[in-house]
Amino acid sequence: MYRSKSVVTALVSVLLGGAALALAGFALASNAPHQKSLQCVADATMANSCNLSLNTYGDSLAGQHGPTGGAHPDWVSYSNQNLSVPANTTVNITINQYDSGGALNNAFFDQVMGTVGGTATFNGVALTHVDPNNIGHTFTLRGIPGSGSHIFVSVPLPADSKGGVVKIGAGVYTAPNVIKFSFKTGSKGVYEWNCEFPCGGSREGQFGQAMSTFGYMSGTLTVN
Amino acid sequence: MANNKKYSLAGFLWLWFALTVFGVILSVWGPGYLMPRSMSSSMHLTILTMVVFSVAAAPVAAGVYAALAYMLRHNIYRGDSVPPAAEVQTRENSRLTIGWVLISTVLTVFLLVWGLGALSVENSGAQANPLVVNVTGQQWVWSFAYAGTHVQSNTLVLPVNREVVFHITSKDVTHGFWIANMGVQVDANSGAVTEIHTTPDKLGTFDIRCTQFCGLNHAFMVTTGQVLTTQGFDNWLAAQPQRA
Repeated sequence: MYRSKSVVTALVSVLLGGAALALAGFALASNAPHQKSLQCVADATMANSCNLSLNTYGDSLAGQHGPTGGAHPDWVSYSNQNLSVPANTTVNITINQYDSGGALNNAFFDQVMGTVGGTATFNGVALTHVDPNNIGHTFTLRGIPGSGSHIFVSVPLPADSKGGVVKIGAGVYTAPNVIKFSFKTGSKGVYEWNCEFPCGGSREGQFGQAMSTFGYMSGTLTVN
Repeated sequence: MANNKKYSLAGFLWLWFALTVFGVILSVWGPGYLMPRSMSSSMHLTILTMVVFSVAAAPVAAGVYAALAYMLRHNIYRGDSVPPAAEVQTRENSRLTIGWVLISTVLTVFLLVWGLGALSVENSGAQANPLVVNVTGQQWVWSFAYAGTHVQSNTLVLPVNREVVFHITSKDVTHGFWIANMGVQVDANSGAVTEIHTTPDKLGTFDIRCTQFCGLNHAFMVTTGQVLTTQGFDNWLAAQPQRA
């Protein structure tokens, strides 16, 4: 009798513990910051094609973090993190690059890779690669092998347009370099993109802070 | 009393024998089935080592499980009060002790010799005309540069039956370069180049993963690889954009 009571007590304890853990996990997931996905807008001039526009800034004053810049107003940021595009479509991306920069730590990323035609236009000029010593950021997208179609797209975003000053929200920047490129999506899936220019600071390789925190220099691309 | 003990010991020995046979069968069959498909000489050796070590461990594990089952079957006291002292207490058995130590020593020395031999094979110098691939890990992308060419790629393409020497490094934190199908796993360290070699001997595709937790998007630090025929590899190499 005593033994069966002990077994029941142990069983109930385990079940209650499991339920508490599940509840805590659900609460954490529910309260996690969810940023709206930026939807790809259908291109009226071309079938099976849509357009996305992104910006990169030297701080967080003009993007999704609001006019105060959120918790880290001085961290570099993309304007949007979560992107949503249709399957089997040509996605045209325009990136306005407002930030300064420097030299890549791996010249591999000065190349334009995975785009339609293998090129991108930089302020209207089509190129296959740019100067690795003057990079602001990169847009580098890939998926997990075995999930959805294999995508690898990497486009360098040159720094310092030497243009005039512009004001966006609470931020003040130099006029942007405008980079345009297209790539084709395949089947449905979730992909990850991030910057490969070491712009985060703090840790070895300058990949800390904004580079190692959700909501700044990385995000997802959902193909649906 | 004596007959009863003899019968029980025989039961234990039979159980040990049966579990050993089961363990050996599992050891021979399991690694080849459970581990990734072998695509290189290194992976053949890794699987063989796993089989040999498992077979060697089978009688030891079987002995432990047989002893446990034997004790649970014969030596459980179910009364409510404190059990009385056993009529016969065995505190020392020299033959058992010597035998156990001797068997353990032989097994351990065998595993040590085998392991050193396998390591020696793995670390032996590269053959003539190997393909040298410079592997760079950085958060959170692998890139591959083919020595002697201006080709760089985010996927790893290799020719079959030609030794490949990987020179592995990192641009930031420590990453883990792992090709499961080829038995290749080594850390990519910043500021250092680590060398490892293998010879792909099967055509097909494989995945390359990072095995060191390296930050925010570590889970996405995966890319694909492919082993092609020599001609197919040469064609692929020629078709790649050449960096100046």
